[in-house]
Amino acid sequence: MSLHSLFMDLAHSPLGHAMQTSKWDFAIVEMVHLLALAVLGGSVLIVDLRLLGVILKGESARDIGRDLYRLLLGSLLVMVVSGVALLSEEAGKCYYSPAFRCKMALLAAAILFYFTLHRRALIHTGSGKPSLWARFAAVVSLLLWLGVGVAGRAIGLL
Amino acid sequence: MNLPVARKVIPMKPQFTLLLTLALTLSAVPAYAHHSFAAEFDGTKPVRLVGKITRVEWTNPHTYFYIDVVDTQGKVTNWGVEGASPGALSRRGWKREDLKIGGKVVVEGYRAKNGSNLADGRLVTLPDGRKVYGGSPGDGGPGDDGTDHGSLPGTTQ
Amino acid sequence: MPLLQHLCQLLYDSSFGTMIRESNNAFPIIESIHVLSITLLIGTIAVLDLRMLGLVLRPIPVTRVARSVLPLTWSGFTVSFVSGFLLFWAEAAKNYSNPAFRAKLILLGLAGLNPLIFHTTIYRRVHQWESLHISPWRARAAAIASLSLWSGVIIAGRAIAYF
Repeated sequence: MSLHSLFMDLAHSPLGHAMQTSKWDFAIVEMVHLLALAVLGGSVLIVDLRLLGVILKGESARDIGRDLYRLLLGSLLVMVVSGVALLSEEAGKCYYSPAFRCKMALLAAAILFYFTLHRRALIHTGSGKPSLWARFAAVVSLLLWLGVGVAGRAIGLL
Repeated sequence: MNLPVARKVIPMKPQFTLLLTLALTLSAVPAYAHHSFAAEFDGTKPVRLVGKITRVEWTNPHTYFYIDVVDTQGKVTNWGVEGASPGALSRRGWKREDLKIGGKVVVEGYRAKNGSNLADGRLVTLPDGRKVYGGSPGDGGPGDDGTDHGSLPGTTQ
Repeated sequence: MPLLQHLCQLLYDSSFGTMIRESNNAFPIIESIHVLSITLLIGTIAVLDLRMLGLVLRPIPVTRVARSVLPLTWSGFTVSFVSGFLLFWAEAAKNYSNPAFRAKLILLGLAGLNPLIFHTTIYRRVHQWESLHISPWRARAAAIASLSLWSGVIIAGRAIAYF
């Protein structure tokens, strides 16, 4: 099964049909996607700015990361589910869209980075000042997530 | 001060895979793949309009131009044609100056779902004779071949 | 024509507003900044609201969270406001009659009033309750109002395109 046929199956599914025919279904899913974006962005900002040593200095970076982990994961899940629904409305267009492909690549990179090197940087920093490496990890994280957002905007604009 | 014990969290990857699989296995009825304007335009109502441009709104987020279409009885109806944003159209080879008031255009597209005299401009023959594509690659409408310029006959590359 | 509508029409017809509205890149860029700024404005204040509801960052005193979050929220507000005003300038005449836009402004006003009330009342005694894992009910009410009103702003903002 090729990737293209996977996308076409999604477009032809009942979810795709519902998204393609109902104006307000699509609008509601878009709104949910935006609400989750706000929460995801907020958690990423707080965690990474702590890792950068800009805010909540002296508080445990590891604990902050762990505490906001649920919020981050929850909002990310909502974004993925709503994202699939949005995709089902224009799967063909997204398949060919360089902006969509870019967004998916950056998303995969951001998630992978978050669960590996970024997590290690949070643990290492503990309650102290972040090392150069930790600050670099924070910047990479912020840039990757920003990239996901910008690429997402580009899907509709190009 | 101790943090509450971290709760058990299901790893995200399997959840996503499960959800995506679920979405895909729901493919029962072979629904026709509509293009991305499907919320506003009807994929089963293609239109071909020939007329003179009366007004142009070269605006974000959508451009519009209006044409007077004369039918066989001589009756004049004013139609609206919706297009993508100025930036997107400029990347497809359109310029605002291409749509001169009074100039003749041929618009191939789909009619609005609510039956009003509004269509989306998928292929437009400009007054200077060039044919420009209005769709997006992969959106499933006529002329879609996954590229930026579509494959409708006569489209300027 | 009512005065307000007339002013909106003046903004809309101005060369600056027209330039943004008919631009190839300026409008999409300004709009993208506006949309992405919700993370800085609303995402950060949501963390403070959730702290007062006792859902995140409980070991950290509310005042500490507020001191870290509020500068970010204000930066986000500045970016949102400037980009939003530019978008409004470009679309003023159309926005005037748009019910979603009107709803958004009302919700925005309320979202601004809520912290004003909060900071002049229950927050004045914050040192009495800053270390509690769950804040007093008045603070929680303000937190819930904040989350609801800002969500409403996002929803109304998105709905503008549909009217």
